[in-house]
Amino acid sequence: MNEDQDKLIAELVEKGLAGDMEPINEIEDRVLRSKAKAALVKAKRSAKPQETEDHVKKVSDKSSIDDKSLSENLNENIGEMVNEKFPGSLVNENTETHIQLAPDHWFEIAGWLKSEPSLSFDSLQCQTGIDIGENTLEARYNLHSMKHNHCTEIRISVSINKPVIPSVEQIWRIADWFERETYDMLGIEFSDHRDLRRILLPDDWEGWPLRKDYQVQETYHGIEVPKMKEGWE
Amino acid sequence: MGVVHGQEMVLNIGPQHPATHGVLRLQVKTDGEVVSEITPYLGYLHRCFEKHCENVTYEQVIPYTDRCDYLASMTNNFGYVVAVEALMDIKVNDRVEHIRVIMAELQRIASHLLGLGAFGLDVGAFTPFLHMLRDRERILDLFEMTCGARLLYNYMWVGGLSHDLPVGFVESTYNFLDYFEPKIDEFVNLLVHNKIFVERTADIGRMPQEVAVSYGVTGPNLRASGVKWDLRKNDPYSIYKSFEFDVPVGEGGKGSVGDCWDRFYVRVLEMKESIKILRQALASLPKEGDIHQSIPKKIRPPKGTIYKRTESPRGDLGYYIESDGTNIPYRLKMRSPAFTALSVIDEIAAGWLLSDVLAILGSLDIVLGEIDR
Repeated sequence: MNEDQDKLIAELVEKGLAGDMEPINEIEDRVLRSKAKAALVKAKRSAKPQETEDHVKKVSDKSSIDDKSLSENLNENIGEMVNEKFPGSLVNENTETHIQLAPDHWFEIAGWLKSEPSLSFDSLQCQTGIDIGENTLEARYNLHSMKHNHCTEIRISVSINKPVIPSVEQIWRIADWFERETYDMLGIEFSDHRDLRRILLPDDWEGWPLRKDYQVQETYHGIEVPKMKEGWE
Repeated sequence: MGVVHGQEMVLNIGPQHPATHGVLRLQVKTDGEVVSEITPYLGYLHRCFEKHCENVTYEQVIPYTDRCDYLASMTNNFGYVVAVEALMDIKVNDRVEHIRVIMAELQRIASHLLGLGAFGLDVGAFTPFLHMLRDRERILDLFEMTCGARLLYNYMWVGGLSHDLPVGFVESTYNFLDYFEPKIDEFVNLLVHNKIFVERTADIGRMPQEVAVSYGVTGPNLRASGVKWDLRKNDPYSIYKSFEFDVPVGEGGKGSVGDCWDRFYVRVLEMKESIKILRQALASLPKEGDIHQSIPKKIRPPKGTIYKRTESPRGDLGYYIESDGTNIPYRLKMRSPAFTALSVIDEIAAGWLLSDVLAILGSLDIVLGEIDR
């Protein structure tokens, strides 16, 4: 009995999906009718996501302006390509929001990111550093392509005891000043940078202000340095 | 600075010099009148913006953003609140969006007026500066009418605005636009086609496209080099999608593409586009809508990172915010357009005469508050 019912419902759902609702409405047994309708809704719902996915793909083909699904795919694609070209450089397989790289081959990877025609990241939007705790500093690069209008974020973490990352100032010229600022604020050293000096603070300032364990120096050339207030009065 | 050869001389421009638009020191190596190398020294105005942000709550950051680019505080507020709202996934109502766009575009005109006037002043034209300040004053009056402050507004809040538009604002703005639109042609006659001005700026300090992109130069400076790139069009935020306007680019009207004159003229054209946007926004401004509707009781963004860019009068203004789930930003970085614009000075100004260096610096329209933060 049950098997027969299932078969009947499957047939009705097929007809319903094709647009023919009459056989379902004609069923006299109310329970069977509602079961058939529920099955139909389920079937429609499971069919929908495929449609929308197709739709999104079509849209992203047309215009690539900041399409979220495209940029997510982009990160995955870049991750795979990096893994192929520079094995061992990709630290974290999860590339949903950003790409985590090891510092060793960063200069080569950066050059490749800029010159690879399908990526052509010609503009370094933002470069910054961050003290993420547990004795780790992280440099972050927000890249953008003027040609394809897509963005990605690269992260490279180093130990606080030996914070050295290859410089990319010869690839994107703006990295020159960005890296100087990151060096100034967090003490991340960029190897092969041609002019690595402090940029905002005086040359003889002590300490790296944006590290979480930073202590303000007591005096500077005999002038007392005002202490930062704890909280708000 | 390296070795100085027989005929060379090292000259310091600034830190206190009217042409540096603030406190900036340019160490210039000259050979006679020709400049061979420029080394900018920054940091005279460093006020630890990013360090302060790690110690105050998200709401309290907004007044600090005012003081970064003090000539375009509205757009600084705008960029910050857009970033935090994206992080918290807040949508604001249509009236708030419209008011924000109106303020941002008024601010763009005000900022360009001062930038253009000061540029004229740098190359020796005194009168246009007074004309432009006179008209900028009328915009500041509109801001004062709205929120009580003339320069540092703290007007845009996360999820809303501090004040609604006062009675009579829309009429006053229409009056201003009607008054100001013909004035632009007056400026054009005063400066743009002025022979002395053209001689000082046309063909001077050309910035090629590749150099501009590689140095991260954005905004009017990039567009003057012929790149049609405007975040309001290319990566629309807020409601810019619904307005019609053009993106003017440099065409080398008096000299070649990307020279000082182009950088000047692109800004003049941009003011016209801003007027277009303003008229559309004023016409479609919804009458209903609570400006405090979406303001959250507590601003505690979820754990995460965001990098959000908006188009300030000087270019791509980016905020990089790392949130650890508390009410205080874990790390906040401001990517300022003037910082990147100044970094290109050695590349484009070396090889020109000393007096041209000041014209090039003026044409980049930098604000030191934003560079040093």
